[in-house]
Amino acid sequence: MQRFILRRLAQSVLLLFVLALIIFALARVSGNPADLLLREDATQEDRAHLLRALGLDRPVHEQLYLFLSGALRGDLGESIRYRKPATEVFFERLPNTLQLLPLAMVGALVVAIPLGVLAAVYRGTIVDRISGAVAVLGIATPSFWLGIVLIYVFSIKLGLLPSSRMGGPSHYVLPAITLGLFLVAGMMRLVRSSLLEVMGSEFVKLARLKGLSQTVVIWKHCLRNALIPVTTLFGVYFALLITGAIVTETVFAWPGVGRLTYEAVIFRDYPLLQAVILLKGIIVLGVNLGVDIVYAYLDPRVRYA
Amino acid sequence: MRTWSLLALALSGLLVAGELSSADAAADKDTLVIALDTLGAQVMDPIMDTRAPHAHYHAPIWDSLVGFDLENGGIGPGAAERWELASDGKSWTFYLRKGQRFHNGDPVTANDVKFSLERVMSPESISSGAAALRRAVDRIEVVDDLTVRVYTKGVIPQFAASLSRAVFMEGSVMPKKYIETVGARGFRDKPVGSGPWKFVRSVPGDRIEYEAVTYPHWRGTPQFKRLTLLLVPEQSTRLAMVRTGEAAIASIGPEAVKEARAGGMKIVSVPGTMQAVYQFWGLYRPEAKASPLNDVRVREALSLAIDRQQIIDHVMVKEARWPMPFAAFKYSSDMTVPRWEDWARTALRYDPARAKQLLAEAGHGSGFKMTFWNTALPGTPFMVPIGEAVAGFWEKIGVKVEMKTVEWGAFDPMGRGEQKGLVGTASMYRTAGRPEPIPRYATTFVSKGVQHVFGDPQSCPALCVDADKAYEAIVAEKDDAKRTAATNRMIELVAKSWIAVPIVEGMGTWAVNPKSVGYFKPIPGRHEFGDVTERMPRPEAKPWP
Repeated sequence: MQRFILRRLAQSVLLLFVLALIIFALARVSGNPADLLLREDATQEDRAHLLRALGLDRPVHEQLYLFLSGALRGDLGESIRYRKPATEVFFERLPNTLQLLPLAMVGALVVAIPLGVLAAVYRGTIVDRISGAVAVLGIATPSFWLGIVLIYVFSIKLGLLPSSRMGGPSHYVLPAITLGLFLVAGMMRLVRSSLLEVMGSEFVKLARLKGLSQTVVIWKHCLRNALIPVTTLFGVYFALLITGAIVTETVFAWPGVGRLTYEAVIFRDYPLLQAVILLKGIIVLGVNLGVDIVYAYLDPRVRYA
Repeated sequence: MRTWSLLALALSGLLVAGELSSADAAADKDTLVIALDTLGAQVMDPIMDTRAPHAHYHAPIWDSLVGFDLENGGIGPGAAERWELASDGKSWTFYLRKGQRFHNGDPVTANDVKFSLERVMSPESISSGAAALRRAVDRIEVVDDLTVRVYTKGVIPQFAASLSRAVFMEGSVMPKKYIETVGARGFRDKPVGSGPWKFVRSVPGDRIEYEAVTYPHWRGTPQFKRLTLLLVPEQSTRLAMVRTGEAAIASIGPEAVKEARAGGMKIVSVPGTMQAVYQFWGLYRPEAKASPLNDVRVREALSLAIDRQQIIDHVMVKEARWPMPFAAFKYSSDMTVPRWEDWARTALRYDPARAKQLLAEAGHGSGFKMTFWNTALPGTPFMVPIGEAVAGFWEKIGVKVEMKTVEWGAFDPMGRGEQKGLVGTASMYRTAGRPEPIPRYATTFVSKGVQHVFGDPQSCPALCVDADKAYEAIVAEKDDAKRTAATNRMIELVAKSWIAVPIVEGMGTWAVNPKSVGYFKPIPGRHEFGDVTERMPRPEAKPWP
């Protein structure tokens, strides 16, 4: 097991290095921040001065060396836009995203599990079809549009909830629904298929033969086993949402890391963009590593593969 | 079961934390809340932001040496109540208002002004006008506590205007003693200025909070106790916030005006904030010599093909006006405004029959192909649909337009340096609403200018030589009447070239909840409300008509 963890750790470090190289290159391909900072009447001399002030006048290989050596020391540079260390800007925003994600995920679970169970138990019936429709709707509905519709209905028309921004409990409802609906679809389908698989197992047949009620068989014996892959997916979704909450955070003016990524791209804030993607990469790799370890612990075949 | 209980407990904790963190940000009747699409760099230091959003969030804190003509637009008294140009045209004397003070109680003196200008010009400054100021300023002299003299490198008639927020932020007055005591970082963390609002806090990516000064201020003493600027990137959300009363005012685009009106909101339109133009690049270069665009009749035909009123009515939903000549506005100085209003009404008319006739006369009756770069500068996304409409009108007279729509960050570098990718093509562009047209002419038409669409120093045809001479005549002229005549000549030269052509004059649009804030007037030409908030009344004090 130890060797397995060490191997995975080494792979993660290598992946981070490759990620760092890719984001360094891609950030520079998309344009130069100086061009967005300069006035229309700025001369080439003005541009050169600004590049000097931003430290972007150095050769690319020198910039890369500074970036990588700084990253090893935990220094990912200073945000061009905010004039603060990029890691500091990231960690200022991360808690905002982390406050939203658990709600979206728990909300998604609360809806997805019963729907998935109903779809499996009543397979092929209208209930199954309705659940399928909910899944398709969840995947197909753009978060952007859903967010705006929810704001219109619950904030403007009904006046029940605030339209946006961080705030009290009521501020979390609409963004959590917007973010969570996407998750409901995937989780529900997974619960359904994995439950169907478990329902066909020998131990379930035995449980039925013992005279246990349908409720006990399904909710106590089947669901517990069916939820193992869901738990894995839960971890993956958590990592995905940290990287993918851009749209929801933009619509609801939520100052999280999703929007920070968007701002870094739009302003060509190289240091911030590099830091945000690298730090998100570390989080995703960390979660994946955790999932791998849990898997390896549960299934010895994985660690010997 | 225990796991679920712990999870529920953790979530409750998060929600309570959220509640506490936001409780102090809740809006009330004493707080003026404005939802904005951008807070720029959100850096509380005038030398660290480079673009127009500074006028949203710096203006409440810092006064500008030269201010606004609040009624008509353009420049007016600021921290300096008046200024004089020396008889040799090479120095400007600024006379500060008496009794001004910074928020920490220190008086505003000429030493602060000298320090501020020098700080803007310092190597660490990335202020957008820093380079221009370095080129312009020779030295700065403190005459007495309330008088400062700036010596310029040559005659620069537009120098005073460049120190107004009507142009950019170079004129912001910063506290010398305070900055020297706390350092740059300390200043950015706890900024102090002399404006009508004091800094309270800045939450990156979310909001900036201010508190009104409690003493009378020359710009107007705020009627609200607090001001909060919120960063809300999505327009639909900003509009929803105004409709629900979560914000009093929100910046919106012309496409949202109808919806805002339908929701009972008032619309405040700021005239003359920008001019959408199209321009041709590098036509003087050898590789573009054979282009049909090199024939002035073709270029005039392309202008006559555009139905500007349709663009104003349908693309801009009437939130735009008929344009003046390139970079000129009703509030522009150093030009004969009525003459150019008349010219624009006639010359920029919609006349497709005449357009087709001109194309035929130029030997292109069956049309030709051209490349058109469509882009939008920051803050003016509606430029793209305007560009699409323009291309549509050109197609109607037989021109086959290959339209390339690109994001501004990708387009801007193409216009600098050799401009290789742009030679012989057209593009959308814009001129910002500024009181002095001539600096913009230098950028676009003078051979040493950034865009040099008439020619560059190595290849300067007759039109380019004429433009260089016309420009030199303007910038060397101290006499107002003669400078106006020279400016008129330059405008005429450009207008007749049809190389950079105005499409419409854009307006800044805002949705206002009349229950949250009373009737107020914007400053013509200045989209941002940073210099307006202090005069915004409470709704009961001045209801909307």
